[in-house]
Amino acid sequence: MSELAMLGLILTFLFVLFSLGLEIGFAMALAGFLGFGIVVNWDAAFNLLAKDIFSVFSSYGLTVIPLFVLMGQLGANGGVARDLYNAAYKFIGHVPGGLAIGTVGAATAFKAICGSSPATAATFASIAVPEMDRYGYDKRLSCGTVATVGTLGILIPPSVVLIVYGILTETSIGKLFLAGIIPGFIMAGSFVVTLVVWTRINPKIGPAGERSSWSERFKSLPPIFWVLFIFLIVVGGLMEGLFTPTEAGSVGSFGVLILTLIKKEMTFPRLIKAIKDTLRISCMVLTLIAGATVLGHFFLITRTPYYVATWLEGLAVPHLVIMLIIIAIYLIGGSFIEHLAFLILTTPIFLPVVVKMGYDPIWFGIIVSVVTMIGVIIPPMALNAFVVSGVTGVHRSVIYRGIYPFLIGMTICLFLYLLFPQLSLWLPYHFMR
Amino acid sequence: MTGFSNLVRLTARLCYTLSGCALAGIVLLTVTDVLLRMLKHPIVGTYELVGLLSAVVIGMSIPQSTLDHGHVLMDFLTNRFPPGLKIFLEVFTRLLGMILFLVISWNLWCFGDDLRTAGEVSLTLQIPQFPVAYCIAVSSLIQSLVLLVLALEKRKKRFSHE
Repeated sequence: MSELAMLGLILTFLFVLFSLGLEIGFAMALAGFLGFGIVVNWDAAFNLLAKDIFSVFSSYGLTVIPLFVLMGQLGANGGVARDLYNAAYKFIGHVPGGLAIGTVGAATAFKAICGSSPATAATFASIAVPEMDRYGYDKRLSCGTVATVGTLGILIPPSVVLIVYGILTETSIGKLFLAGIIPGFIMAGSFVVTLVVWTRINPKIGPAGERSSWSERFKSLPPIFWVLFIFLIVVGGLMEGLFTPTEAGSVGSFGVLILTLIKKEMTFPRLIKAIKDTLRISCMVLTLIAGATVLGHFFLITRTPYYVATWLEGLAVPHLVIMLIIIAIYLIGGSFIEHLAFLILTTPIFLPVVVKMGYDPIWFGIIVSVVTMIGVIIPPMALNAFVVSGVTGVHRSVIYRGIYPFLIGMTICLFLYLLFPQLSLWLPYHFMR
Repeated sequence: MTGFSNLVRLTARLCYTLSGCALAGIVLLTVTDVLLRMLKHPIVGTYELVGLLSAVVIGMSIPQSTLDHGHVLMDFLTNRFPPGLKIFLEVFTRLLGMILFLVISWNLWCFGDDLRTAGEVSLTLQIPQFPVAYCIAVSSLIQSLVLLVLALEKRKKRFSHE
C-alpha cells in the first residue's frame, strides 16, 4: 500500500474514532500507534507508544502548562477577577453599555495572569452577568460579551495556546508572549468599539449604571497595580532571561497565591478547587499533546508535511491566498474537532509550509491564536458559549446572537495582523534579540 | 460491581491527591530555586526533579480527569443518535480506551524494565529513570480500570433504558 493510501486510511479511521465519541487525545494515540505498526512494524509501534508518552509526561519543558494554568486558576478562585471588574465598573459603569465595556477592560487586565479562555468566560459569567442583569442588560449583550472577552486570553500572555504552540514549534515562548500584547490590545479595542456601536444603535440593550465618585474610583485601583506587578515580573523575567518559562509560571503562581492570601480571599477549599481545576485542564492538554506526538511520528514516516507542502505549492496562487486556505482549514477543522486539539494536530504539518513561504513562525503563532479565538465562539464547537450557558443557564442560541456582532471586529483584526506582521513582530524583535 | 467501582474511584482520587501534591512540590521547588539562585546557591538538579514530578502530576491525574469527563471529545454527532445507540457507542469507546491504556501500561512497564536493566540515571542527581516509567504504567493501568468501570456503568444504564 502506498504512503498516501495508508495516510488516507489512518485519517479516515481517526475521524471515525472522533465521530464515535472516543476522547480526541486517545484517538490520536490509537490511530498513530496502529498506523506506525502497519507501516513500520509492531515492535517499533509498541516502543514508540511507550517512549512518546514517557517523554511527554516527564518533560521539564511541558511543566510550563500546568504552572501557567495554576496561576490563572488561583486568580479566578481568589477573587482577583471580581476586584478588577469592580474597578472597571467604577470607572465606566455609568455610560450606556458601560458594564459590558468594563467587562472587556477587567478581562483584559485579568488575562495578564490567566491564560485559559474557558476559565475567564466562566469567571466573568458568574461576576459580570448578574450585575448586568441588575441594570436590565439584554442577555444577548451580557452573555455574548463574557463569552467573547474570554477569548482574549488566547492572545494576551500568558496564553496557554501560545505556550502549546511554542512547545510544538520550538519557538521562544517569551517572544510569543510579547508578540501577543499589541494584537491583544487591538482586539480588546475592537470589542469596545463593537459595544459602543451596538449600544448606540440600540440603547435599550445596555442601559447606563450608577456613576461612582472619584474617591471610590481611586480606592478600586490597587488590585490592578498588583496584577500588573505580577505580570511584569513574569513577562519581564522571561524577556530578561532571568527565568525559564517553567520558573516564570511557578513564580507567577506563587505571586498570585500570596496576593490572594494577603487579600484574605483564598480559603483552603478555594485553593483545593484551583488545584483540581488546574490538574483537569493540564491533564486534558498534555493528553492531547501525547496523542498528537504518537500520531505526529506516523505523519513523519508517511511524509505528510511533504505532501501537504507539495499540494499547497502546486496551487500556484499568491502566498496570502495559501495563508487564507490554511486559516480556513483551521477554522473548519477546529469547528468539528476542538480548536486546541486541531492546532496540536496540524501545526507541525503547516509550519514548514509557512516557514518555506518566508513567514515568521512567531507571526504564524499569533495568526493561529486569533483563528482559535474565533473558533472557540462559533458553533458547533463553541466552547466558551457552552461554558457561559452552563454558568448562566441562558440558551446557547441567545449567546450566539450576542457573539456574532463581535465577529466583525475580530475578522477585521485577523486581516490586519495578516497584512501587517509588524503589529505582532515589533515588540518581540525590539525587546528580545 | 459497586465494591469494585468504589475501589477504583477511591484509587483514582488518591492518585489525584498525589498529583496535586506533586504540582505544589514543583511550585515550591522552583520558586525556592529561583530565590536561592539570586543568592548564588541554586538547588542542584531542580531541572531533573521537576521532570520527575511532572510525570506524577500528569500521569496520576489521568484517571480522575477521565471520571470527571475532563478530556475533550467530539459529541455533537453522538448526541443526535437514539439513546440506545448512543449508550452502545459510549460502552464501545470506553472499552476501546481501556484496551489502549492496557497496551500503554504494559509497554511502559517493559520500557521501565529496559531503563532499569540499562541503569539509566539522570545527569546531575543520578536518579534512576525507571520508577518514572513504572509510575506512568501504574496510572495507565488505573486509567484502564476507570474506563472499565465507566463502560460497565453505561452498560447497566443501557439495560435499564431497554
